[in-house]
Order: sequence, then structure tokens, then C-alpha cells
Amino acid sequence: MAVPVADALSPGLPAGDVAAAGRFSRTRGALRTLEITIPAAVLLLLLFFCFVWPLIYPVPKPTGGSILDSGLPVGAPGHIFGTDNVGNDIMSRILYGGQVSFEVAAAVQAIGLVVGGALGVIAGYFGGPVDSVLMRVLDVFIAFPSLVLILAIVDSLGQSELNVIYALSVFSIPAFARISRAATLRLRDQPFVVAARLSSVKSWRIISGHLVPNMMPQLLTFSLLGAAVVIILEGALDFLGYGIPDPAPSWGKMIANGQTMLSVRPSLVIVPSIFLFVTVISLNLLGDGLRARWEVR
Amino acid sequence: MTGPLGQRVRRRAAPSPAAPSAERDEPAHPGSGPGGTPLLEVSDLRVRFRSRGSVVNAVQGISFTIEPGQTLAIIGESGSGKTVSAYAMMGLLPRTAQVSGSIRFKGVEIVELGERALQDHRGRNVAMVFQNPERSLNPTMQIGAQITEAVRRHLPLGRQQAADRAVELLRMVRIPAPERRCHEYPHQLSGGMRQRVVIAIALACEPQLLIADEATTALDVTTQAQIMDLLLDLQQELGTALLMISHDLALAASYAEEVLVMYAGRVVERASARDLFDRVRMPYTRALIDAVPRADLEPHVLLPVIGGRPPDLSTVTPGCSFAPRCPDAQQDCRQQAPPLEEHEIGHWWACWHPCGSEAPGDA
Amino acid sequence: MSTSVTSGEPGTSSVEPSRPGGGTASRRLAGSPALRVIGRRVLIAIPVLWGVTFLTFIVLNALPGDAATALLGANATPAEIRAETIKLHLNESIWVRYWNWLVGLLHGNLGTSLYYNQPVTSILGQRIPVTLELVVYALVITFVVSVPLAIFSARRPRGVVDRASMVFSMASLSVAPYVLALLLILVFAVNLQWFPALAQGTGGDIRDLTLPAITLAIPLIGFYVRFLRADLLEQMSEDYTVTALAKGLSRWKVLSRHALRNSFIGLVTVIGLNLATLIGATVIVEQIFGLSGIGWELLRAINNRDVPLVEGIVLVFATIVVLVNLGTDLTYDVIDPRIRHGRSRS
Repeated sequence: MAVPVADALSPGLPAGDVAAAGRFSRTRGALRTLEITIPAAVLLLLLFFCFVWPLIYPVPKPTGGSILDSGLPVGAPGHIFGTDNVGNDIMSRILYGGQVSFEVAAAVQAIGLVVGGALGVIAGYFGGPVDSVLMRVLDVFIAFPSLVLILAIVDSLGQSELNVIYALSVFSIPAFARISRAATLRLRDQPFVVAARLSSVKSWRIISGHLVPNMMPQLLTFSLLGAAVVIILEGALDFLGYGIPDPAPSWGKMIANGQTMLSVRPSLVIVPSIFLFVTVISLNLLGDGLRARWEVR
Repeated sequence: MTGPLGQRVRRRAAPSPAAPSAERDEPAHPGSGPGGTPLLEVSDLRVRFRSRGSVVNAVQGISFTIEPGQTLAIIGESGSGKTVSAYAMMGLLPRTAQVSGSIRFKGVEIVELGERALQDHRGRNVAMVFQNPERSLNPTMQIGAQITEAVRRHLPLGRQQAADRAVELLRMVRIPAPERRCHEYPHQLSGGMRQRVVIAIALACEPQLLIADEATTALDVTTQAQIMDLLLDLQQELGTALLMISHDLALAASYAEEVLVMYAGRVVERASARDLFDRVRMPYTRALIDAVPRADLEPHVLLPVIGGRPPDLSTVTPGCSFAPRCPDAQQDCRQQAPPLEEHEIGHWWACWHPCGSEAPGDA
Repeated sequence: MSTSVTSGEPGTSSVEPSRPGGGTASRRLAGSPALRVIGRRVLIAIPVLWGVTFLTFIVLNALPGDAATALLGANATPAEIRAETIKLHLNESIWVRYWNWLVGLLHGNLGTSLYYNQPVTSILGQRIPVTLELVVYALVITFVVSVPLAIFSARRPRGVVDRASMVFSMASLSVAPYVLALLLILVFAVNLQWFPALAQGTGGDIRDLTLPAITLAIPLIGFYVRFLRADLLEQMSEDYTVTALAKGLSRWKVLSRHALRNSFIGLVTVIGLNLATLIGATVIVEQIFGLSGIGWELLRAINNRDVPLVEGIVLVFATIVVLVNLGTDLTYDVIDPRIRHGRSRS
């Protein structure tokens, strides 16, 4: 039995372990689960709120509000979060804005996962010149300050939700490629893969049957953490005016619009900010929690 | 001179009177002798660790004393509790450890001491040399700086004086070209030399007790002998008591005056080195002795090994902890644990049915 | 831990033992593996730099969208548009244009801003100092706060400080910079009136820069505290920290004098990772606080379709990232004495 001299935690404890771990394994296990279930529940709630609720309940339209209704405070009857300065109901803008955020994040991560993941696996598995070229290309993309390039792309292509997705994918693809390449390299020389290779199993079979399933946990947690980043970036684009075109609502735009009224009606900024924060932190906590759970020692 | 296991034994000179030491407040202590105040008194020391819902009883009530200038060896397998005891004497156990019992260093109780007082205690009264010379030194810090840090922690020396002392210490541990070495980094030294540096650090403030925890285990045999000789020479020069912790019985036989054998957190036998090997009593010790490879055995003979595994320390079983593996175990062994008692003068053991035979051969 | 740009693992380059017998430091350096390593890294960085220039140009020039029309507005006549097109060399093939641009680049000429009618380089020269001050200020705040906080956390894992700082870290990494900026403005500028919400001076005034710097620093602190804490704890399970504790040093001293030195090495390699996000945040922060730095200028230039200026700024940013990554790789090789001194054994 090793003597735990320096009161250090066991080596390899991931940095994301925020768990208030008790001394006993039962409590620890329970809290670990809590670490995952709570953020997951919050996210599900948000998704429900944004996508399902409008289908069930007659939510006021997010645009085209009457100026007569403008400036209602939080808690006003019929408008839980109040209305903005042109009379739109804030809650519904939050709802529909949230749809945008989730859609963009999901699409960008899906594209990154499929395209970037595939590229990384191919480069990692086959190696050689393909790999070297890819690495250099990845280096270039990673060297690029993403926001800057994304701005340029969106500006050139024109503003639309689809273009935003394309622009953001330009950066999620290299990120996924890097991760999947690293994972592939690590898995490639594992005994079970080597055995398959030696038995002349077809490459794509090995990839799909052995490599990909073993990479999935890691890719999944990366997707979650990446989704958080995407949501913030997309919000930044909207904030700067280069994202989703008017009149569609989005959290970033709501925050930007609320800027001018910050001292008078801070709720215009605070409400979307809270939703943004809760979404992002839930994604981060979930990603971290899953990573801690699935970490291979 | 060869010892009971046929190995080379170091001739021990009579302990020398106190050597002159640098900058010490207290007078150098006299040589050892029965009747003097013991340097370290351990009474019924118990250490438990709580980890992940289970409790590990690492040390289950050990008692012994160390006289000034004495060389004591604690022998045991991994998990016997020997290292934990050593760390307890240094005050290095983490807060997850529950310590009870008493450890008195020159009359001062260590066990419940506060952190500040423990920091003063470590390095000044007791120092330690560790197992892995590769990893025991900070790779990004120069050797000299690591030594002067130890020096200036407890001794009121200025920078230049401390630097001089570092060089002097390196010379004392027989490292050639000490001035140059001070500015080198650990990776530029060989394993044996790094261990010497660790010894130099340990002796920086002339502690009265030096604990060598498997200090030579990671070294090759030749270097091992060199380091042990060095330790004993230094001991004589400085009058330091040496506590050797090891699993290597032959080592203990060669260098120690007195040997404690630990098993599963308890002391099971204690005697002078001579008595232990000539008149071994505990079957466990006997088995350990038999398992040592010897030059005078027939070639191609299987070494007798001790069957079974060390006990699980998270459960407390009645009866002798060695009983499951003991070839001489009887019914009463499994029912009640034998106490450690001084059955002969200077020879303690804890066994209901000790071996009465003499050790095989004596070269 | 390898960084992105040079893609080489620090410390694994071929390190041969230095000449037997040691010798003076200068002799060691001359034939040393260190220079070889530096040379190799620089060599690798060059194609990446080229790739950056290429990508910049392609993105800004090859995408649909007619710069001439945009510049002149929707009311321009076809003749005017054609004249402008010729003036901007837009009628030539993209490769020719790229070549011209690249040549100009290598001569230090980044073209002329269409909006200001001045050389791009001079405009950059005015804007860069502001951004530089902001970033340096933010980094100072970051390290002054993160290092002690990380040490405090590592000193008592799972203790109060540790839990609090982990919570803070998670929160700060989940806040969008624009939200944080507005929040800080709301609290400190509007309510407490300690700092101005918009820059008063022409940049360089500490009061103007404080809130923006804090906005940038907070997510960085979140990241570095987490990283350092984890690394420090790893160091604390190494044997040499036990040796240090055995000397009688306090945990704090062991952490700050021993573990930290080793953690810094890891820290250096990680600095480059944050750069891209930092740049993005800087753009947003300058916009919100009205600081006239290159981030702010970038937005303006995009808005004005000032293609040369946009190119110049994007290039500057990308080059900084490449150079910083190169720099951290090299620094890593230098500050780790194991690499610096080769593996000579006496």
C-alpha cells in the first residue's frame, strides 16, 4: 500500500473535478452522478422550453410587437420577462433565440464531428504524407484567431443562419480532426487493434469496428465542451451584428440591443445573459462530468 | 568478516566520542550505552488510514526505542507498516492518517504536535533518505541550492556560509569536485551520486536520527555497499543514530546492531543482529532468512519462498497475523495473537510456538 | 505537451550528450543541440506562416462579394465600378493579386487603406500600442491572481479555498466576454461609478483600461488556476516534494519554491492555446469599451469593406499566434534544465 504522504489527491485527477466528494465511496459515487444528471436535466429543460413549449402553449410572437406594449417590466401580466423597447415579448424572444443557439451549436458540432473526425482518423490511421499535410493545414487553422476569420467569412458570404453555421464549422472541423487524430494514434498501437491489422482485416472495418467505438466517449465530451464554445461564439457574432440577420431574435442580439439601455433597464441584458450562462455552464459541467467518468487511466 | 548469512559484515568500531559540529546550540551527545536516555521512544504507535470508505490499519501498536548513535534496522515486506512508522516519526503523515500512541523524541511528544512545530522537527532532529534517487531531487533546481535550502531552514547562516557548508557536505559524502557540482542539476549526476546528495541534504543540520528508507534498494550492489559504508562512517563521525528500513535481511545483517522484524503492522521479533540470526525464533523471520540467496547453497536448489500473501490490513483478525502462512501454526495461533515479550535478554518475540533451532551454519 | 504550431513535442528532439569534459558554457552552446532545436522549430514555423498569409488572402478575396460595388455603394454606375475594379486590380487573376500582395508583404508594405488613404502599416502602428497595453495589463492581472490562488488551492485540496476557486473557475470559463463586460459596466461604471464605461482618453489611461483588462483577465484566470492547480497537485505527488517537506519546509514553501518551478514549464506550453480566444475577446472588449485598438479597427474595416486593412490586421493577428507558439516552444526548451544541459553524465 502506497503511503499517501503529501496529502495529494490520487494522481491523474482531472482538472474538472469540482465534485464535493465525501470520504466514502457511496457518497462520492452519488455526487459524481449528480454532477452529470443536474446539468443534463437543466439542458433538457432548456431544450424543452425552446423547442417544445411553443408548440404546446400559445407563446406570443417574438417579432412585430406593438410599440404600445413596449417597456413593460419583468413580471408584467402576459409577459413574464417584460417586453423590449419595440414591444416584443422578451420571453418569446428568448425561446426563439434559444432555438437558434441550439440549432447552430448542434449543426456545427455535427459537421465537425463527422468531417473533422473522419479526417483525423484517416490521417492518424494511414499516416505518412497524408498525415503530415493534414497536420500542417491544421496548424494553420489553429493559428488563426477564429473570431476574426469567422467575421470575415460571414461578411463575405452574407448573413444567414446557414452561413453562420458554415463559418463556425471552418473551425470546428480542425478541432475535431485534431482530437480524433490523437485518439487514433493512441488506439492504433493497442494490442487489439494490432491483432486486427495483422489478421488482414480491412482497414475500414477496423476503423469503424474498433477505433470509432473507442473514441466515441472522448469525442462526445469534446462535442459538449465545443458546443459551449460555439454558443458563445455565435452569440459574439450576433452581438457584433454579423450573425443571424434581423428580424430573427437571438441571445447575442438581445444583449447587444440592451446595451444602450443598460443603466435604465438592465433586465434587457440580464435575462438573455442568464440563459446564455446557464446553457453554457451546463454544457461545460456535463462535458467535464462525463470526461471524469469516462477517463481512461 | 562474514556474518551469519555468509555475507560480508562491516566491522563496527566502538562508537566514537562526539565529533565537533558546526554551529550547534546543544552539546554533542555521548556515545550509546544502556541506561542513557533513549533518543527516540515509540510506545504503542498505531496508524490508521481512511480511504474510500475502508479503514487500513497500517501500524497496529509497535513499541521500541532508539539509543543515541545506535544503528537499528526495521525489516519487513511491503505493507508491513515499516515506512508508515518512519513517516510518523518524521511527522510526514497526511491528515487522512489517524495516529495514536506515543512517539517521543528526547522526551518531546511528536504525535500531537502542531504543523509549525513539526516543521521545526523535520530536518533538524530527524532526517530521511528516500528510495528513488532519480526522483528525490527537484530536477529544475541546482544541487547546491537544494542543499543550502536545507541548511538555512534550521541554521542561522548567511548565504555565503551556507554555500560553504553545502560544499563541505558534498565533500563529506565523498562527491568529487564539490564546488562544481553545486551548480549542476540532478540529471547530470549518476544514481549513486544523487543518493549521496540526498544524504548530504539529510545531514545538513546534523540531525540526531537519520532514517534510511530503502535508501539503497534502487542502486546496484556495488553502489549499495559504498552508500552503506558512507552512512556508517558518517554515523561514527557525527554520532547520528541510524534507522535502516528495508526488506533486505542480508543488508540488515551486515550493517545493523539491532533488528526489528515487522509483519502486518506489528513488531514480531526484535534482537541484536547476532542473536536474530543465530537464535531466530519467529517462523516468519526464519522463513525470511531461509529465502535469502546464499553463496554456500547447492546450485540449482529452489529457494524456499513464503507461500500466501500478506494480510489485508483493513480487516482485523483475531489471532496471529502470520498464522495463515506459518508452517508451524497451531490452533491457539489462530485464536489469539501472541504479545511481543522479552523472552530472553535483549531478544523479544511474539510467537506461541517459536523455533528453537540454531540458524544453519556460521561461516 | 505539444503545442499546435510547430507540432513537435518539446523535449523529444534529438538531444545528444554534450562534449565530454564539459568545458565553458560558451563552448557548450556553440556545438549544442539547443541551436539545432531552435533552427528546426523556426524552419517548421515558416510554412505555417506562409499558409496563414495564403488563407488570409484567399478568404478575403476569393469569396463572393464585390468589393468595388460595396465600396462605391449601390448607386454607382457600371463605368465607375469598372474603373474602381481596375484601380483595385480586381480584374487580374487571384493568383497574380496574391503574388503582388505577398511580394509587397515581404517588403514590409501592406498596401493602402481604402478608407483612411494611408498605408496600412501606419494605421496599425497607431492601433497596436493600445491593444498591447490592454493585453499586457490583462495578463499581469491574470498571473498576479492565478498563481497565488492556485497555490492556495493546491495547499489544501478539497478545502474551502480550493472548492471556491474551482467553482469560480468553472463560472468564469462559462461566461461570454460580452456578457461579462456589460456586467462589469453595470456594477462598476453605472452603479459604483468607479470606472468609466467608455474610454475617455485616447487610450493608455489606466482607468480606461481597467475594466476591459479585468474582462479579459477573468476567463484567463479561470483557465490558469485550474491548470496550475492540477499541475501543482501532480508535482506534489512526486518524490522530490517529499524530500522538500522532510527538510522542514511548509507546504506553501514547497509549492511555491519547488512545485511551481516545474509547473511553469508546463504552463509555458499552454499559453499558446489560449491565444485565439484571447484575440477574439479583445475584439469584443475593445468594441464595447470604445478602445481604439486593432480589434476595434478590424470591425470598422470590415464594416467599411476596407480590404487591405482587414487583410493587414488578420495577418498581424495570425502572425502573432504563430510567433507566440514558436516562442513558447523555444522557451520551454530553454527553461527546462534537463533539455538545456543535454544528458551529459560525468
